[in-house]
Amino acid sequence: MVLSEVDKFLHELEKAELEAPGGVASPQTYAQLLAVYLYQNDLCNAKYLWKRIPADLKSGNAELGQIWMVGQRMWQRDWPAVHVALNAEWSEDVSDIMVALKDNVRERAIILISKAYSSLGLTVFASMTGLTLEEARRVAVERGWTVDGTMVQPCKIHKEESNLANEVCLTEDQLYKLTQFVSFLEN
Amino acid sequence: MASALEQFVNNVRTLSKQGNFRELSEIITKSTDVLIKNGQHLDNVLETLNLQEHSLGILAVLCVKFSLPNPNGANNVDAYKPLFNQVQEFIIGCNGEQVRFASDIYAELCHLFTQTLVELQIPLRGIELLCRAIRKIQLFDSQLTSIHADLCQLCLLSKCFKPALEFLDIDITGISQEEGQFDSKYFLLYYYYGGMIYTALKNYDRALYFFEVCVTTPALAVSYIMLEAYKKYILVSLILHGKVLNLPRYTSQVVNRYMKPLGQQYQELATAYQMNSCEEVQNIITKYQQLFTRDHNMGLVKQVLSYLYKKNIQRLTKTFLTLSLSDVASRVQLSGPADAEKYILNMIEDGEIFATINQKDGMVVFHDDPEKYNSPQMLAKLEKEMAACMELDKRVLEMEEEVVLTPQYVRKACGQNDQDDQTPGPAPTNVTNVQGQSKHSTYSM
Repeated sequence: MVLSEVDKFLHELEKAELEAPGGVASPQTYAQLLAVYLYQNDLCNAKYLWKRIPADLKSGNAELGQIWMVGQRMWQRDWPAVHVALNAEWSEDVSDIMVALKDNVRERAIILISKAYSSLGLTVFASMTGLTLEEARRVAVERGWTVDGTMVQPCKIHKEESNLANEVCLTEDQLYKLTQFVSFLEN
Repeated sequence: MASALEQFVNNVRTLSKQGNFRELSEIITKSTDVLIKNGQHLDNVLETLNLQEHSLGILAVLCVKFSLPNPNGANNVDAYKPLFNQVQEFIIGCNGEQVRFASDIYAELCHLFTQTLVELQIPLRGIELLCRAIRKIQLFDSQLTSIHADLCQLCLLSKCFKPALEFLDIDITGISQEEGQFDSKYFLLYYYYGGMIYTALKNYDRALYFFEVCVTTPALAVSYIMLEAYKKYILVSLILHGKVLNLPRYTSQVVNRYMKPLGQQYQELATAYQMNSCEEVQNIITKYQQLFTRDHNMGLVKQVLSYLYKKNIQRLTKTFLTLSLSDVASRVQLSGPADAEKYILNMIEDGEIFATINQKDGMVVFHDDPEKYNSPQMLAKLEKEMAACMELDKRVLEMEEEVVLTPQYVRKACGQNDQDDQTPGPAPTNVTNVQGQSKHSTYSM
């Protein structure tokens, strides 16, 4: 899923909620909105959305509860439980987003592990990423991490955050900015 | 009495046609009584008026309709539906140029609308409309209107914050006069509610700024809004900085004199926090539990406690290079190594500490901040901050110039020399120059 599309989709959903006749949107809208917030790791907004969904909708629609279960586990940062909660059957409305969320969460977990651990147990690694032991071992080896019996030794991932197209700036521009700064500081 | 009503309609029609909106806005302000007395005919009046041409007339009628007892009887949602529809139609379709002549009544209409929604407990429904209402009456994006506070209130009550952020994220540079009717209450409320919204979304930096603006508003008496903002200021400041930041020097006297004693329990919490002892903080929380709950600050207070654990872990990084997880747990008074590992893991993810955990031997290695301040991102950030500072400086200079040119200022500045001289001659210009220069020299420092 392309990021800009998600933003647009999110915007439409938010609008649909605000303009819903009678002030209550369809369960489908709520479910999708909740899932998109989770996908963007926007847990605060997800939490408040859950709080404002009318109680009768929550009880009438089990999937909403399931989605929020994922959110709740994410809020508690209980990684193994997030994956357990994610391993449910999702209806067509949200399945795309939930699958994307799953990958997203796994990627985040792997990045975090590479940042935070110099060694950790393979079982811990597997449960934090929601993989089986075999899959976990494969993923670790694929990333060039050393697997030594039951211990994994992650390497640091050097993220290329810069998005070069935006960063590259013409020398003249730089010079112009510098002139502005100096003239500001001098006066 | 019908003749008085006819008179009103005629006035609206003729003055609107002549384009004499200034006079019309005065007349409609005075005709509230007439409209109230003719409550049952108001819908007929609305039918004779045109949304675009007679916006001011319709505005007055709608405002009065809110204060009348609802003809459909009980206070339920359906009874208000026709009126809500009329308001919606009006705000979307009215003539912006015209209603600006009576921006006070326009704001009043929005206040009444908000109040009714709150009473009916359907705050979500007004959010979209108030956003439009603000955009319509604003002269520029960073202008504060009293409707902003209404929008924030609705967003808080409905727990739907995103629409308010659109407005809150813009720094205010001007305040709509609203014909001199802008009540300071709405200014304080805007910053108080805004701070609460940012707190809810865990944008503590901005929340602290909003509470600070609220508390430092020049005042001669303590407002309850300011007092509540002050309490939250203390809590957010503890979460963000680990101590209560001193309020700026320009804070009004009343804050120090009256508000500090009134928020004494919060001060005690802050003192306990300073001792870095989770036990002390917990004691204070238990002691004043009732008060914190009554102030609706219990959630924030609990967060203060959990941030103290984090702060204590951060302090460890200053002393130790490596530490075993069980040591961390005992030094920070956590229940065990697993708990400590979880705290550290979460803090690493949030970028609050830099460390690596080694599960093999149960150790943590603390690192320095890897930021070397040499990346293009850092440069871009610096440029952005510089641009913001330059913009601020420009605004300050502009405002100063504006103040210096007002007759009152000129008269006051040269008042001591020649009190009888009413016409500002060469002397005042000198004074302003001197003033300007001295200001400039302070800036360049």
